[in-house]
Amino acid sequence: MEAIAEVEAQAVEAVQNASSTTELRELEIKFLGKQGALTGLLRQIGSLPPDQKPTFGQKVNEAKARVQGIIDSKLDTLKKTEQGARFETERIDVTMPGRASQFGYEHILEQTADKIKAVLGGLGFRYWHSPELEFAKYNFETLNYPPDHPAMDDQDTFWIDEERLLRTQGTSVQGHVFETTPPPFRAFTIGRCYRNEAVDRTHGHTFHQVDAFMVDEGVSMAHLKGTLGQFARAMFGENVTVRFRPDFFPFVEPGVDYAISCPFCGGKGCAVCKRSGWIELGGAGLIHPNILRHFGIDTERYSGFAFGLGVERIPMMAHDIDDLRYFLENDLRFLGQFR
Amino acid sequence: MKFAFSMLKDFVETSSSAVEIGDLLTMAGFELEGIEEVEGEMMLDIKVVSNRGDGLSVLGLAREVLAKQPQARPTELYQRAAARFPAADLGRSEASGFAQVVIETEDCTRFACRAFQGDFSKPAPQHIQKRLRIAGMRSLGLLVDLTNYVMLEVGQPLHAYDLDKLGGRKLVVRKAKSGEKLTTLNGDEHELNPQQMMICDADRPVGVAGVMGGLDSEVTSGTTRILLEAAHFVNTSVRRTRKQLGLSTEASYRFERSVDPEGVVAALNRFAELLAEVDSGSTLVPGVIDVYPAPPQSHLIEVSVGRASKLLGMPVTPADAKGYLERLGFIVNGEGDQLSVTGPTWRPDVVQEYDVVEEIGRVHGFDKIPEAPIQGTTTQGGVFGRELYLQQIRDKVMRLGFVQNISHSLQDVHPLDDPIGPRVGPRHPSSPEMAVLRNSLLPGLAENARRNGSKDFHLFEIGAIFGATERRTLALLSTGGRTPEHWEKEPPSKASFFTLKASINELWPGLELTDSQDARLHPTRQAQAKGLVFGQIHPDIADELDLPAETFLAEADLEALYMPEERAKSLIRISRNPAVRRDIAILIDKSVPYSQVEKAIETAGGDLLERQWLFDVYEGKGIPEGKHSLALAIQIRKFGENLTDEEANQVRDRVVQALAALGATQR
Repeated sequence: MEAIAEVEAQAVEAVQNASSTTELRELEIKFLGKQGALTGLLRQIGSLPPDQKPTFGQKVNEAKARVQGIIDSKLDTLKKTEQGARFETERIDVTMPGRASQFGYEHILEQTADKIKAVLGGLGFRYWHSPELEFAKYNFETLNYPPDHPAMDDQDTFWIDEERLLRTQGTSVQGHVFETTPPPFRAFTIGRCYRNEAVDRTHGHTFHQVDAFMVDEGVSMAHLKGTLGQFARAMFGENVTVRFRPDFFPFVEPGVDYAISCPFCGGKGCAVCKRSGWIELGGAGLIHPNILRHFGIDTERYSGFAFGLGVERIPMMAHDIDDLRYFLENDLRFLGQFR
Repeated sequence: MKFAFSMLKDFVETSSSAVEIGDLLTMAGFELEGIEEVEGEMMLDIKVVSNRGDGLSVLGLAREVLAKQPQARPTELYQRAAARFPAADLGRSEASGFAQVVIETEDCTRFACRAFQGDFSKPAPQHIQKRLRIAGMRSLGLLVDLTNYVMLEVGQPLHAYDLDKLGGRKLVVRKAKSGEKLTTLNGDEHELNPQQMMICDADRPVGVAGVMGGLDSEVTSGTTRILLEAAHFVNTSVRRTRKQLGLSTEASYRFERSVDPEGVVAALNRFAELLAEVDSGSTLVPGVIDVYPAPPQSHLIEVSVGRASKLLGMPVTPADAKGYLERLGFIVNGEGDQLSVTGPTWRPDVVQEYDVVEEIGRVHGFDKIPEAPIQGTTTQGGVFGRELYLQQIRDKVMRLGFVQNISHSLQDVHPLDDPIGPRVGPRHPSSPEMAVLRNSLLPGLAENARRNGSKDFHLFEIGAIFGATERRTLALLSTGGRTPEHWEKEPPSKASFFTLKASINELWPGLELTDSQDARLHPTRQAQAKGLVFGQIHPDIADELDLPAETFLAEADLEALYMPEERAKSLIRISRNPAVRRDIAILIDKSVPYSQVEKAIETAGGDLLERQWLFDVYEGKGIPEGKHSLALAIQIRKFGENLTDEEANQVRDRVVQALAALGATQR
């Protein structure tokens, strides 16, 4: 019996002095392995008096369990110490530059168009594509421009030949929709328009416009204002309101220009709204009955509204972009700021 | 239109300030563009839209103020203007002894004259000169100043002829004869054509109708007898002549937009009043010469006020509607909901119910229209079909690491233009940089790459190109490192024909590539498939554009590649049993295309072959001339049970055999 206590004491001392997990594994084998010192004591069992045999075995096993316990707890401690040391050697400088993959991103104008598509799509408007190289009739005559009217002077036109031009306004989509689609419908397009104008910070010969319109029973100016309000709030912020002022576009009657209360200053006046509290976005109105009638739509039953706006204006306001020319120059120092 | 605020006060009694009147006019549709103090007076600058010629006069704007502001009162001057400046002598015939007027063209609908004689050498009164200056007009002597002033007041252009310089004391309104010449007041000589309407004396043109008078019959300080013209012309005719002659004037601007044909004689009378006030020593010759072949047609418009309220989306009472219209000079009959309305002669833009609805709404105030949610049929909104396909392609290209560009469609001719097919462009390009419409997106991308320094770019654009038709295409440009240079040691991947090919495979899996001969691309490093072409840039073009030789280009016709009826693909069942890889190294003639090797492996591999790939190509030392060594991997897997070594080896052996048939030997 004393031998058990003696071996156990040796084991405990050795384990407590162990300095590495490797050493500990060796001690485990030395004392507790098949050939280990404690296990070896069991072989003495045969030479013991019969009455001591059961207790001796039990004592050895108890001693083994105690030593195992001490080894396990020591192992835990040593593992932590050793891992801590290894982590130190594995230390990296997290402030060093990350490694990029090839990263593609969308042009800011397309991002704006995507947002408009989502908002108008949610309001039940279906996206239509419409040609940029257009027959003059879709750009003017179909839109109720009287022949040779000064309204055309507002839009210096790139003519291709006698019949064709580069569309000056997204509204040219309307004839295409009317030709193929009986009311009720809601439609819109976003696309490139051209005007033969001198280029400067706020004027381009090439720009992008949204044109949205709907025809249904009982459509009124109030529905137009409501739709513009919903659209403007989704685009610019929750507290935006819409203002109408009379204006003239041959394809609407009544015609208005519409403005939104400045989302940047809440209407108090700031640099974006030029201290006016309002930002003019575009033209709108009820679709001219001449157009509806031209496409065989009963104007007693149906009415419609239409509105347009420029795409570039939106990011220009939102991001304080002061020069329209950036958009089509594709300088990555510009595009990359909106990735 | 610029004018002194005091002129408006001549017509309207209002307590409102100039600023308030500017706001009021803005809300009436006549936008205040500027307001400033000039010579101690407030000057208003009002934008007049092109269908409201009546707004190009102080009288017209005064009418809007009276309509919008019920507490404002018309002055005595306004009331006389509304009564067309009545004159007692109109019925007398003396004037007709001075000159004869003949209209020979339908483009002139009215032509009236009054004659004056005496001394016209005094200057116009100071306040008139000042008001003209404020309106941006120079003082040019009594007669011209008064014609301009009357035009400013009532919108009717007037012209004074020196009667003694008119041949035959006759004015004929007719189309010009080919080759006729006229020197206008500004000193320019014009050669005329038969589309252009002229005012002529017995012998020759003395003025371009509605645009500008002639120099020869101009009034001067020595003039003692004048013939004063007020006329009405068809607006498109004036517009055509003005455009052809490149000669825009205050008169032509008004005639193009609309002038009140019933205000013609009134303007002559107003001129006579003002001249009489000057006490210049001149006298009016009694009577008017008035040739009026085509009085305007009036439109009787039936308007339902209830319907107007519905269209406007705000309630307007019949009494209010009637009041608004009457204050604007409309004749309104009927009570209650149904009104019969006739527009005034200065409002040719009002011809149907919607036009009247706008008038009611404008005066009532568009600011009173509430916001209402759309009612009616629920419609499916969003992006569908081809448009959705274009969006999906764009998203994929971005995931492949390309940056979206949006470039100009108007461009100069460019080495990367598509050399095949017709070109279109503006008929009158304003500069060579905008001479043609792009027929490829590649020039734009190349210029963008250049602008950005020409290295390490992966750009794409989706947009319209123009040739025989307008089509939307995708273009890719890839050059240089695909990942930035980095301190970690792995070499960065660079753009190559095969990185571009992988992108194209990702966009359109399983395209059949064939030989291609696009002159913009490297002759032996390009390929095409239905609707697309790609390859390395032609070295000569790379040199010319100063782009790296290792620049890779692709252009795909998205209209051709869109397949609307494409069916959803079915899932390929996934085996949960492990896969086995076998590597095969072969030596094979370089002339055998890899696609044949690939095909042979696929056929020989059969159902168990899951995947194959090429992981090394070697030629040079130890490899016979004309051959190269390919290291291929095949991955074999069974569905539902594990593959034995033996089965895997059988597949490999079949593949090796198939490759042997292509002349390959195993290494």
